[in-house]
Parts: sequence; C-alpha cells; structure tokens
Amino acid sequence: MSKAAVSGIIIKRRLMLLFVVMAATVLALLMRLFYIQLVIAGELQAKAWEQWNRSIPARSPRGSIYDRKERLLAGSASAQSVIALPPQIQDKEEAARLLAPLLEMEESRVLELISRRSATVYLKRLVDEETAFAVRKLNIRGIAFSQETRRFYPHGSLASQLLGFVGIDEGLSGLEHFYELVLKGRDGRIEFESDGRGRRIPQGVQSYIQPKDGNDLLLTIDQTIQYIVEREMERVMLSSKPKGIITIAVDPRTGEILAIAGKPDFDPNRFADFPSERWKLSPVTNTFEPGSTFKLVTLAAALEEGKFNAREGFFCRGAITVAGRSIGCWTRGRGGHGAISFEKVVLGSCNPGFITIGQRIGSEKLLSYIRAFGFGVKSGIDVPGESTGIIFTEKQFGPVEAATTSFGQGVSVTPLQQAMAVAAIANGGYLMKPYVVKQVRDSEGNVLEKREPQVVRRVLSGETAREVTRIMELVVTEGSGINAYIEGYRIAGKTGTAQKVGPGGVYIGGEYILSFVGFAPAEDPQILIYVAVDAPQSGPQWGSQTSAPMFRRMMEDILKYLNIPSAKTPVNEAPRMVEVPDLMRLSLEEASDVLETSGLLVKFIGSGSTILNQTPKGGARVPLHTQILVYLGGEAAGEEVTVPDLSGKSMREAGEILGWLGLRMNFSGSGIARSQSPAPGTRVPANSVVSVEFRNPGGP
Amino acid sequence: MRASPKKKAPDFVILFTVMTLLAIGIVMVFSASAIIALENRADVYFHLRRQVFWALLGLGGMLFLSNYDYWKLKRWVNALLVVNLLLLLAVFIPGVGVEINGARRWIMVGGFTGQPSDLTKVAMVLFTAAYLSRRDVNVQKFMQGAFPVLAVMGVFFALIMAQPDLGTAIAIAGATMIIVFVAGMPYRQILAIAMCGLPLLGYLMASKPYRLRRLLSFRDPWADPLNTGYHIIQSLYALGPGGLFGVGLGRSRQKFFYLPEPHSDFIFAILGEELGFIGTASVLSLFFLLIWRGFKTALMAPDNFGMLLAAGITGMIGLQALINIGVVTGSIPVTGINLPLISAGGSSLFFTLCSVGVLLNISKYARV
Repeated sequence: MSKAAVSGIIIKRRLMLLFVVMAATVLALLMRLFYIQLVIAGELQAKAWEQWNRSIPARSPRGSIYDRKERLLAGSASAQSVIALPPQIQDKEEAARLLAPLLEMEESRVLELISRRSATVYLKRLVDEETAFAVRKLNIRGIAFSQETRRFYPHGSLASQLLGFVGIDEGLSGLEHFYELVLKGRDGRIEFESDGRGRRIPQGVQSYIQPKDGNDLLLTIDQTIQYIVEREMERVMLSSKPKGIITIAVDPRTGEILAIAGKPDFDPNRFADFPSERWKLSPVTNTFEPGSTFKLVTLAAALEEGKFNAREGFFCRGAITVAGRSIGCWTRGRGGHGAISFEKVVLGSCNPGFITIGQRIGSEKLLSYIRAFGFGVKSGIDVPGESTGIIFTEKQFGPVEAATTSFGQGVSVTPLQQAMAVAAIANGGYLMKPYVVKQVRDSEGNVLEKREPQVVRRVLSGETAREVTRIMELVVTEGSGINAYIEGYRIAGKTGTAQKVGPGGVYIGGEYILSFVGFAPAEDPQILIYVAVDAPQSGPQWGSQTSAPMFRRMMEDILKYLNIPSAKTPVNEAPRMVEVPDLMRLSLEEASDVLETSGLLVKFIGSGSTILNQTPKGGARVPLHTQILVYLGGEAAGEEVTVPDLSGKSMREAGEILGWLGLRMNFSGSGIARSQSPAPGTRVPANSVVSVEFRNPGGP
Repeated sequence: MRASPKKKAPDFVILFTVMTLLAIGIVMVFSASAIIALENRADVYFHLRRQVFWALLGLGGMLFLSNYDYWKLKRWVNALLVVNLLLLLAVFIPGVGVEINGARRWIMVGGFTGQPSDLTKVAMVLFTAAYLSRRDVNVQKFMQGAFPVLAVMGVFFALIMAQPDLGTAIAIAGATMIIVFVAGMPYRQILAIAMCGLPLLGYLMASKPYRLRRLLSFRDPWADPLNTGYHIIQSLYALGPGGLFGVGLGRSRQKFFYLPEPHSDFIFAILGEELGFIGTASVLSLFFLLIWRGFKTALMAPDNFGMLLAAGITGMIGLQALINIGVVTGSIPVTGINLPLISAGGSSLFFTLCSVGVLLNISKYARV
C-alpha cells in the first residue's frame, strides 16, 4: 500500500469509534422507549383514551312534582335533540341547506356547527315531534337524535312561583331550583371508541351508562285549594287592579303549606315571556309593614303576661303622646274611639289602645315575644330566596319604636312570618316550621324521605291562644272582619290596613296594603289563610272591603272542599240582615268608618271624594254582605262615562244608578235586570241610552 | 490480493437478522395498513401485496449480489451514477414522474412506481467507497479526498431536495459522511466543514421562523398539538398504551386515522402499540445486531474498498433505523425517514435488500 492510500489502521479505529457512537445511540433509544412505554405509559394512555373515547349524553328524566294527593304539578315529557356527527356528514353545505329551515336556524350557523372538529355537536335541543320527524325523513348520514326530556306544567301558571321552572338543563327558580339535586338524577351516556375521523371503531369498546332517574317530590300543597285561592286572587286582580296579591294557606296544626301564591305570576311553560320579578315567590321573598294584623302579637303577649283585661275601660282621644311625640289613631279625624273597653280596642283596632297595651307589657318583653313568634329570622321554609324581615334591635327599641311596633308599624315582615305567627295562635301556642315538600320518592315510588311537622317553640299557653281566638272571632262577627263571616262556621280573623313604605322608608301617600288573616273552624282550626292586596287601584282601599271578602270566598270553598262540618255550637253569630247606613254627603274617610263593621260590600261609581248618592238608601234592611252602590260623582257632564253593571238590580235601582251617571234607561220586562246593552265597562258619551231587560226571578 | 482471499460462508447472523426484520415488517405492514388500505383503496391487502412483491424482488437481488464478488461492483459505479442522475431528472418530466401530495419523488415504469432516490443511496455508498479506496487518492488532503465526494453528493442532495425529500437526502448525506469519516478524513477538516455549515443553518432557521418551531416541536409536542406536534403526540399515544406487552397484534387504535402513515414512517409506533416494549426492544436489538455484524464485516473485510463499502451499507441502514426510531419516540425532529426492512417501502426495500446482499458477499471474504 502506498503512503497515499487509505490507511487500514485509521479505518479500523474510525469504525470502532462509529460503532461505539451507534451502540450508545441504540442504548439511548432503548432507555427512551423504556421511559415512554413503561414509565409515563399510564399518563399517555389516559390522554389517548380521551382522544379515542367519544360519548353521546343520555339525559336522565327529571323527577316530577305532585301535590299532596298525587296530582301532577310538574312533569317531564320526552323530547328529542338533534345531534350532528360532523365527520360522518359528507356534503356539509347540502346538509346545512336542508336542515336550516326545519330547525329554524341560520344556514351559516348550521354549517358552522356541522363543520366543527368534534365527534358530536348539538344542533338543536328539545325539538318538537314534527320537527324531529321531518329531520328524520331527510335521512342525512351523520344526523342523529338524542332522547331527552322537556319540562311541562299541566296547569300553566298554577303555583308557578312556588314550582319555578327549568332552563335547558337545570331548575332556575322555585322548587325546581331548591330541589335541583333531588329532581335532577344523574345523566348517563353512550361511550364508544372512535377513529381519527370521529367514527365509531367497529370492534372498539362500547358502553352504555344508564341514566339514573330523578326523584319525585310530593308537596304539602293541595292542588284544589291552590286553585281556589288563585281563582279568587285573579278575580280581585281584575276587579280592583292592585299591584299584587299574596296568599298563603297553611294547616296551622302542622305548618304544612296548603297553597301559596303571589300575583301577578307567570306561566312556567314559557317563563321567558314574563318579567323576572314575577318568577320569585312573593309571599316568602317580599317584606312589608304588617299593620293591624301585627296587633295580634301585641294582644297575645299582653294576655300571656296578664296585662290585658277585656272589660277594663280605655279612652281614645284620637291620638296619644309617647316620649313627647303625638301618635295618631286612624279614627283621629272623628275625634277618636272615645270611651271603649279594651276588647273594643282590639275590635276597633285602636292604635292608642294598643300603644297602651304595649307599654304595659314593656318594650323588652314585647321584643322578646316578637322574636318568639318568629319575626326577624327566616322561617326555614324549603323554597329559595326567603327574606328575613327587619325588627328593631334592643338598642334601637326606644319608647316611640315600641309604641309603633305595638300596632304593626316600623317593622318589616314577610307574609309567611305573619301567617305562621297567627298559626301559633290558632294551634294553641306552637310556632311551627312551615314546609312545602312532604315526601321525596324515587322513580319507583319508594319513599326516600318523609317530612314530619316540626315545632320551633312554644310561644303561648293554650289558654292565651284560646282567648286571642275568641277575640278574633268577635272581630269577624261584629268588628272590621264581618265581611269574612261565613254562616254556620266559627271564623277567627283580623284585618290589616298598612300604609306602604316606599324606598327610603317614606310612606307612600294613598297606597295601602290591605291584608286579612284568619282561620277556621275557630274551635278546631284546620286551615289558616293570609291574604294581602297591594295597593288596589279601583274600589275602596279598606281591608274590610277588599281582603276580608276575598278571604271569605276562599275559606268558604275550601271548607266545603275539605268537608269540614259547620259548627254545632255557634258562640257568636253575625246578624243575617243588616241596616244600610245613610252615607249621603259623607267623605270617603268618614264612609269607611261607618261601613267598616256594617257587613256590607260597597262599590264606587264615579271618581270624586264625597258620596253624592247611594242605593239602597239609608235605613233599608238587606242581607249580610249585600253590595251597595255609592255614587261619588266627579265626572263632568258631556264627558264619556263607563256603563255600570246593572245585573241583579231592581228596575228602580237601575234607573237610579243610570241617572247618577247621566245615562237614560230603555227597559223591557219587569223584575230584576238580566241583560243590558251596551255591556258593563263600555265607555259611552253622557246622555246615552242603556237598554236593560228585566225578568221576574224564577220566571222564564 | 484480488483473487487470494478465501471464500467462506456468509455471515449468517446478518442473514438471520435481516430475514427476521423483513418478516416482522411484512406482518406489521399488513397490520398497520389494513384499515387505511380498506378506507382509501377498498383493499385490505393492498400494502401487504406490494410489500411481499418488493420483498421477493429484493431477496432475489440480495441472493444475486451475495454471490457477485463485491470488487466487481467498481466497474459499474460511474454508469450507476449517470443512470441515477438521469432518473432523478426524469422525476421532473411530466408523464414519467409522478406527483403525490405535491412531491415529485416517483417515476413510473411499466406499471411500477419507484423512487430513484432509493437507488441514490446505494449508488453514493458505492461511489464514495470506491473513490476513497483508490490508491491515488489521499484522504488527508481535502481537495483530493472529501471535496470530490462532497461535490458529487451535493449534486444528488440538491436534486433530491428539489423533489422535495428531506429524509432521503439526509440519509444519503449521512451515509456518505460516514464513509468519508471512516476513510480517515482529518478531524480538523470535519470541524471546518461544521463551522461553515453552522452559519448557513442559522440563516435557514432565522429566515423562516416556522422551521425552527417545527424543528424544536419534538421537545414539547403539546405546545401545538394540532400542527407541529401532531405526529409526535399521536406516536406517543401509540407507544404509551402499548406498555410492556402491547395491546396485541392487530389491535392498535392509533392506526384508525390518528397516526398518519402508520405503515411507513410511523410503523414503529404501531409496532410498539401492538407488541409493547418487548416488541420495540426486540426490533431495536435486531438492528443493533445488524450494525454490530455489519461493522464486524467491515473490520474483517480483505481490502479498503470492502471495508468502506461494508461500513457505508451498515451505516446507511443503521443511521436510517436510529433516525426513524428517534423520530417515533419524539427524541429528534420529524424528518421523514422510514424504518429499513420494516416500513412499507417499495423500491427502498428492494435496494436495502440489494445492499444487504453486497454486505453478505463482503462477509464471505472476511479475514480470520
């Protein structure tokens, strides 16, 4: 070998070197493989699983809500959702073009959804049967359906604020929200292994994880009572046009809520069409100044403490001075109640009288009774959004605060608190914890949970409770609650007229909350109803004229429905016939005084403030709860007037009413008015003719 | 010297190793390609049939070359280079060259498609070994030794890069450099070339930032899982679940359109998924065995040409295998080199087997 030739020694040395380098590389790669396949294998496996596994949700049917007699209040109907499996759709543009009109979606939106890089996308949730059928008929590859459920409420707005509603996947208000975890159940899914293009691998693992059905709720609510209550509320909503009405019906013995509603409410089947203020359960979320119904607390406390003697005399001058401040009675305008007994202080709802009672109890004691009755704390009812209300603290509770609190001013309570406090009087002195869910059952009907009545504390002795009940019965037979009287039954009740407090704690002039709380039968109370009408815009703003008759109509039907027999030994009875007082030339305020305990219902015609005429005339004897018509004038001649409802009126009465309004009557037949033209409520020019047809009662 | 060496039996370890890898390859090509073959060509056996065809053709070539005295190959070197050059040019002639996915690497002759660049691997190894073993060439002198080889390689490199086919170009450059290195190119020359190359590399990276990103994505594939990191992530998703024993032959999930090219560049990942660490370690060991016996053949070759040729062939196969496994395990950037003897490869498999035939022939003349 020449010197120039490649040296074999060098070649061998370099070969060895190269071999060592390659062998080292082999070793490094072996370690790398060891690391990947044995050390971090689990981690990689988990990530790979994520990539391989696709799932289609299988939603669990939501539990139903039933009333106490197992009547359906909220249920779920099966509905279908349209799902797209983008990798399987071949002609995406064509598919989008066909689907868009059926699903009522933008074509571009559909195209965007079905072009996504995922195995499944929802195109549209919960479509109706026809849509599902039409989409199915298109027979597009890669369009599938998922069985789901859609919530429905068979009775529309009935108990809507209590029940709440369900959004796409969860309860958003009411019991649907509060009991979300109970009702919801657990979603299942279909899992399958997919290939890199999102399609199911034929021999891949496929599993079905079964959804677990939601549990059912059995409520304390009685659908019929709820219906009666809401029907009467709707009626008053139409006739008096208030801002709102609240009703709670509760079994005072157990704390079970039998009916609860606030108006205006909404239809949970299309909740989005209603303003959201209507969604919340106003009897529990709203607070207001209770007014006279709160006086029952003061009365009960005084009796329990032995500071109340029904026969003791009291003199009401129309005002009382407390710590240098004069606090008026509602009878201030006519110089006060005068000399009355303490029993009459209660029946006449006399403020100075109650202030005196409160002073005798002592502010500290009074406050502790208010607390004992459950005011100022949440009742713990199982619905969302309960308010606490506000009562004074010991520090703030000076003589003036104690005085106003004695007759229900300066405190803020929820309707539910007020109802439960009175329930404690009705049931012999026990403050009960209110509740709406009686039982939780699984989908097979097995009872999972059962609620028993729960006593929060004993507030009064049985004797005190009975005495308060006795006085409350007198309120109904001869006091301001006479319009709540139901013949044959012993009803205990109390009216309340509270001035509304606006934002900033200032009283709103001319706006009142008219409430009534009562229970029956007084000898064995089984049902308690609390109603509150917020600022009626037409008709008298007196509790005796609005809330008491409303209570009566509800209670009468409920007693019948519950088959509660009338009292065998009536202690007190209201008169069957009452005398119509002479109201001519009285102001509205004066008239309210006279009419409050009259047992008559009054309807205003006109918009003035002084009574110009009335029918029947003063002195006439009419049955209890007869409606009298009162003309207030206030409509200038030549203007349009509203045609009154004359049905049931005698010819003389009808002629008189039309005369007040400057209308003329064209009559036919004889007896009482049966039909009229134009219809009641029509606006007609003054001097128009109203045709009225009269017929003899019982005649053809 | 030429006729003097005694002819013995070929190195059976090499034969055994190659046949085993070939068999594993055929099985794995079938397993890995069945799903995509069914989807894309409605024929489960499409790639299997091709692999078997090229394997048989290659075995024929191997048998012939193992009995064809290797020193006679020198005669054909120049002709082979010229023919190869023409074929590489023909790739760009429409009608002869075939364009697939924007790359022109193939020519079609009588219904068969082949990559002329696969021939280049053999041709360059032959040429380099033949040239550097010439007595009148002083490898110590750059202009005599490394330069002419690098110049010829540069022409082929440029033509292959124009296809473009980075992986094959790197393999050819690598194998050529291995021979130049083994032949004794002085270290200072190597250093000097490296110093010249670095600024060029730096310029290429700086001018197109995505190149650097792509190059470095193997370090953290999850930074960009849908683009630059996609191949590596999918490869790891195959290797990881494989674990120690694998999910079982034929039961890969990653071959269901997750891993691109499951039967060619990433076949090793599918092998790792189906056969586990046992499988990957075995295949790696077989390659190690082949490299060891290949270098042993080189060490014991009777002349410099035989030494350099055996080193070049072994280096070529070993380098490709190590780069491929490096890519599949996410250890180095994705290059596009397939796994010799295992990947579905067509003409690549044929020429690999042919070069093994040459190696076997050299082993017959091993000095004791």
